[in-house]
Amino acid sequence: MSRLGKKFRLPQAFDQAVPGQYWMLPCRFVNLDDNRYVLTNEVGEHLVVTRPQLEQFVRKTVSFHGDFYHDLKSKHFLIDDDSNVAVDLLALKYRTKAQQISQFTALHLFVVSLRCDYTCQYCQVSRQTDDKLAYDMSQETADRALEFVFRSPSPAIKIEFQGGEPLLNFPLIQYVVDQAKRINENHDKNIQFVITTNLSLLTDDILSFCLAHDICLSTSLDGPQDLHNLNRPRPGRNGYQLTVEGIRKAQAVLGRDKVGALMTTTEASLPRVREIIDTYLSLGMDAIFLRALSPYGFAVKTGQAYKYDVDRWFEFYKEGLNYVLEINRQGYPFVELYASMIINKIFSPFGTGYVDLQSPSGMAISAIVYNYDGDIYASDEARMLAEMGDKKFRLGSVHHDSYEDVILSDTVLDTLEATLSESLPMCNDCGFLPYCGTEPVYHHATQGDAVGHKATSGFCSKNMKIFRYLFTLLEDDPEARKILLSWVRP
Amino acid sequence: MIKGADAHHVDLSFDNNVFTLETIKRALYRFADRCSFDVESADKQTKVTLHVPANIAEPGIDELCSRIRNEVLDQDLRDSISRETANIRTLILANAFSNTGLIES
Repeated sequence: MSRLGKKFRLPQAFDQAVPGQYWMLPCRFVNLDDNRYVLTNEVGEHLVVTRPQLEQFVRKTVSFHGDFYHDLKSKHFLIDDDSNVAVDLLALKYRTKAQQISQFTALHLFVVSLRCDYTCQYCQVSRQTDDKLAYDMSQETADRALEFVFRSPSPAIKIEFQGGEPLLNFPLIQYVVDQAKRINENHDKNIQFVITTNLSLLTDDILSFCLAHDICLSTSLDGPQDLHNLNRPRPGRNGYQLTVEGIRKAQAVLGRDKVGALMTTTEASLPRVREIIDTYLSLGMDAIFLRALSPYGFAVKTGQAYKYDVDRWFEFYKEGLNYVLEINRQGYPFVELYASMIINKIFSPFGTGYVDLQSPSGMAISAIVYNYDGDIYASDEARMLAEMGDKKFRLGSVHHDSYEDVILSDTVLDTLEATLSESLPMCNDCGFLPYCGTEPVYHHATQGDAVGHKATSGFCSKNMKIFRYLFTLLEDDPEARKILLSWVRP
Repeated sequence: MIKGADAHHVDLSFDNNVFTLETIKRALYRFADRCSFDVESADKQTKVTLHVPANIAEPGIDELCSRIRNEVLDQDLRDSISRETANIRTLILANAFSNTGLIES
């Protein structure tokens, strides 16, 4: 017994704590519905509780012997005389969640051309007609941008080629890929490439190059033929045909996992979410990202950005997510990517690289944009805003500024400080804070202030609706919970 | 409730022995999308006058008042949590960022 006593505490040691003698650990809560609250701690562990339970917890009247007490204790909402490791564990978990901040910047977007062969009404970039070479990135600009890329401390680098239509300047893409690989011989970073393209200019030679360099393709697909062509017009009105042919061809050469697509929701999309998802299914895709329009670029000039409000978009989103769950119930694994990112934030120990769901904002520290002319922007949205004439989030130029000038610029540091959710009005005590983020460019564009007034913010309203819906599914629909949990990645 | 030409005005009052002014203001902030407020604090009570647009959408003024009262209660609980956990929160963050060179001495 004496030897065992050195390893194990005596039974009476476990009875020392008494009701009322516990201390709350930092936590927040938000109402889920009229009867329930979501209680979350600093690292995103959660419990769904009733109002009486919440009162009991805060007023220190939780029964020591009940399940609720042990739930609160095991999920680090309280400590008592019997538990003293919670602080260390929470610190470790907090550090893990925030790890990516020390490894900035992973995503580098090269806008290799503003030219485009499409004339989309909702384009969030101010594209140029495809014969103006003045809007192409030069090799000199690309070289300077690559110097910035390899100054990033991140061990993993993704270079994404954007436009306009980047394949209109494919020789520069080839140049950047070759140069990046050559430079990386001295850096040994995990480097990936993505081309965001409408696929209309896709050729066998381009695909061969992509295959040789393990390049992924990301395209836009808005749904069935008539909807896609309505949203994304091009001369010949054959955008859908070219996109679908391009996707199939690229899947055959590169593999299905190397070809992704994004959709944008216009007013015409709202009643057709099932058809949109069916289009993705018919192409063998395993995921869809149901995205609302952003208030930038042509989407503002043409008024497309304001044709539906958050409530209408959320009905579209909810119907889409329910349909995705129905598809899964029928045995076909299919993911809605925004819900997946949130579910991962809820259940995974790691943070996200998705700029809009980070605190502080992922601007410049998760993604950075090198425009065709060498100007540097804090995010793709910041570049879109600049094309509208507002250069609030321009960080400098690869031609005139050093890496230190850019990363330590007032624009970056002030924005990071202004986007720490933990210090923002209404965000700081919101139970969904561990899963949410801030979107300074959106709030600047819609409210004239990077912090934003969350009571009237479309960003906040949209996310609150989605969080509440996901938690309701997790709590009330065991089958949906099982599917959603299957989307969590280690 | 007084109904003006273009807005409704409703008074709510909160006992200063129970709720702090900070608690009440935090709660009201969350309803800034639906109405504006005048806040007057006297010795024993804080009076809040709601200015609600005449064309207020459902669920209507009574429900709005009810939600504001509940939110004040919620903010009161949040205050309790915040007061009790402020030090340990600092300790957790200090622990999390120790050895990163990010903590200013």
